[in-house]
Amino acid sequence: MATKVKVTDLHKSYGDNEVLKGINLEVQENEVVVMIGPSGSGKSTFLRTLNKLEEPTAGSIAIDGIDLTAKETNLNKVRENIGMVFQHFNLFPHLTVLENVTLAPVELGKLTKDEANELGRQLLAQVGLADKADAKPTQLSGGQKQRVAIARALAMKPSIMLFDEPTSALDPEMVGEVLKVMRDLAEDGMTMIVVTHEMGFAKQVADRVVFFADGYIREEGTPDAVFNNPQDPRAQDFLNKVLNV
Amino acid sequence: MFKKAWIKYVMLTLAVILGTLATTTTGAAAATKEPHYVITTDTTYPPFELQDKNGQYVGIDIDILKAIAKREHFTYKLVPISFNSGAQAVLSGQFDAIMAGMAITPARKLVYDFGTPYYKTGVIAAIAKNSKIKSLNDLRGKTVALKTGTGAAAYALSIQKQYGFKVTYFNDSNTMYNDVALGNTVATFEDEPVMKYAIQNGVKLKILTKPANSGYYGFGVKKGHNQELIAKFNAGFAAIKKDGTYDKIVAKYIGAKESTFAGSAAVNNSIWGLLKQNKNQFLAGIGQTLMLTILGIILATIFGVIIGILAIVPNKFSHGFASTIIYIFRGLPLLVLAFFIYIGIPSLTGHKFSALLAGLITLMLNEGAYIAAFVAGGLKSVDNGQMEAARSLGLSYWKAMRKVVMPQGIKLMVPSFVNQFIITLKDTSILSAIGIIELTQTGTVIISRNSQGFRVWFLVAMMYLIMITLLTFLAKWADKKFGNN
Repeated sequence: MATKVKVTDLHKSYGDNEVLKGINLEVQENEVVVMIGPSGSGKSTFLRTLNKLEEPTAGSIAIDGIDLTAKETNLNKVRENIGMVFQHFNLFPHLTVLENVTLAPVELGKLTKDEANELGRQLLAQVGLADKADAKPTQLSGGQKQRVAIARALAMKPSIMLFDEPTSALDPEMVGEVLKVMRDLAEDGMTMIVVTHEMGFAKQVADRVVFFADGYIREEGTPDAVFNNPQDPRAQDFLNKVLNV
Repeated sequence: MFKKAWIKYVMLTLAVILGTLATTTTGAAAATKEPHYVITTDTTYPPFELQDKNGQYVGIDIDILKAIAKREHFTYKLVPISFNSGAQAVLSGQFDAIMAGMAITPARKLVYDFGTPYYKTGVIAAIAKNSKIKSLNDLRGKTVALKTGTGAAAYALSIQKQYGFKVTYFNDSNTMYNDVALGNTVATFEDEPVMKYAIQNGVKLKILTKPANSGYYGFGVKKGHNQELIAKFNAGFAAIKKDGTYDKIVAKYIGAKESTFAGSAAVNNSIWGLLKQNKNQFLAGIGQTLMLTILGIILATIFGVIIGILAIVPNKFSHGFASTIIYIFRGLPLLVLAFFIYIGIPSLTGHKFSALLAGLITLMLNEGAYIAAFVAGGLKSVDNGQMEAARSLGLSYWKAMRKVVMPQGIKLMVPSFVNQFIITLKDTSILSAIGIIELTQTGTVIISRNSQGFRVWFLVAMMYLIMITLLTFLAKWADKKFGNN
C-alpha cells in the first residue's frame, strides 16, 4: 500500500504559543484515521496544516510524496487532490446547491459545465440530496448542508478527504445522516483523516485512532487498543470522561 | 453574458470620453491656423464680465477682448472661473492670460506682465442702504466682506489696522454684496465702477467713501510668457481706442439699465419666469452635473474596487499602499484636492488639463477612496471560512476572491454604493470652484446677473433633489437587475 500522507516533526506556533510540538504521522492508502482528544489539543490545527490552510512553523508534510513545505510546490494542484469538510460547512450561500458542487471542477477546467452538472447530480444522489440541486444553502438543514459540503469536496475527485469536526455544529438528530455518508465513503476505500468527538464512529469505522493532547500525539493504535486499553494517562482520563457519560 | 457585455460597453465609452477630454486643449489649437489662446475671466464682475439673459458672457472686458482678437487675428477660448483661481491658474500655466478687471499692482507686476492699462479704477467702501455707518471710523470692531485675491481686498487690508475692522472672504461678488445688504457684515471694499454698476442694478448698497488707491486694470499674462499675445493686445487696444470702439463699449455698459442684460422685473419676480428664461442654462448645468456624477462614480468605482482589494490582499506591501492611498484621499477636502490637481500639478509639470478632466480625477480619487474603504470592509466581512473552503478545493486566491468572496461582499456594499452615488452628485457642486459650470455655478452666474438669490437657489435646490430622487430610483433598479444574479 502506498503512503498517502507522511508528516515529520511538525511544529506550529502562534507567536509564543506552540500548539503543535513535533507531530509524526503516516497515513496509508485506503486508511481511515480518526483523531480524538480534548479541545485545544491541536488536532484541528494539525488537520488544517495538511492542506496548508495553516502554515507550519517547522517540519515537513508530504502528500503522495509531494513536499508541501517546498517553495516550488503548486499548492493549488495538491489541494485539488485533498477534499476538506469543515465544522461550519462553509457552503457558498450565493450559489445553488448544484453550483456549490460544480464550481471548482468547472472553474479549474476539469469538466465542462454539462459534465460537471451530471457529476454534481450523481454526487448529490449519493449523499441523498438529489431533490435539493436547485435549492439555496440557506434552505437546508445542518445535516443536509454538511452532506452537500461532502459532495462538493468529492466533485474534485480527491484521493484524500479531511474532516474537521463534521458533526460538531449539528443538532443530534442530524449527526447520523452525515456519519452514514462518511461510513459509505470509507467502505468505498477513500483515504480519510477525521477529527471528531463521535466515539461510536471512531470505534466502528476507524482503522486507526490517534489521541492528541497538549500539542502531542499521546496514543495511537487500533480502535480496540486505544479505547479498551489506553496506555497514556491523559488518554485514560479523557476516554474515561467521554465514554462513561 | 449580458452583464459582461454591459461592462465592456461602459468601459469603452469611458475610454473614448477620457481620450477626448485629454486631447481637447491641444486639438482645438491645432484645428485653426490663427494663434489660439485660453483666456480666463471672472464669473461675476459686472460690468466687466457677466452673463446676459441668453447665457452669453458680455461686459467691458469681454467686448474689448473680442474686438481686439478680431483686429489682431487670433482666436481664444474664454474660461470663466472665480477670480482668485483664475489668477493662480495663469501663473501655473493652465491659462495663457487673464482679462478679469485685474488691477495692476506692484505685487502683481512681479509675477505678471500687463498690457496697456485699459480702465481707470479706484477702491471705494460700500455699506447697506439703511446702514448707520457714517465713515470708516465706525467700522472699528465690525466685520467687513472682501473678495478673495482682489486689489480692493488688498487695499482694505492695508487700512485694516488704522480702522480696526475684522474681515471675512467671499469668492464671488454677488454673494458678498448680499452678505452686506443683509447685515451679516457691515461693509465691503470694491472697485468703483463695479460697485456703481451693482447699485444701479438693484443691489441694496450705497457708497461710503471717495475712490482711493486709484489705479488701472490690465490684461495679464505670466511674467515672461505669451509676449506676442501682449503685443497683439496692445496694438489692438491702441486701434480700438483710436477709432472709438473702446468708448462705445464702455458707454454700452456704464449706465446701462438692469433690464438690458438681466431681463425684465416681471420675469425675475416669478420662479416660473426665471425657470423659463434660464431654461437652457439650467439644462446645461444639470447636464454637466449628471455627466460629472456618472463618469465620476464609474471612475471612482473602478479605482475604489482595485484599491479596496489591494487593502485586503494578504501582502504587506499592497496593504500598506492601499491604506496610504485611502488615508490620503479620504483625508483631503475635495476642494483642496481639486485645486491641487487643477492648479498645483500643472504649475509643477507644465502639463495642462481641462477643468473637466481635473474634476473627474478629483472625484475618482476622493470618492474612490471612500469606495475603497467600504469595498475593503465589505470583503473583510465575508466569513473567512468562505475563502478557506474555496482554497481547499484548489481554487487560486484570485479565483476564490472573484467567484466566492466578491459576489457576497458586493451585496453587502450595495447600500454604501447608493449612498456614495448621492454624495458624489452633491460633491460635484464643489467643482464649481475650478470653473466647471455645473448646476451650482450656473446658479451663481444667473444670480450675478439678476440678483434673485432666493428664487434661483430655490430652483437649484429643487433640481438637485429631483436628480437625487431619480438617481436613487435608478440605483435601486440597477441593484435589483444586476445585484441579485
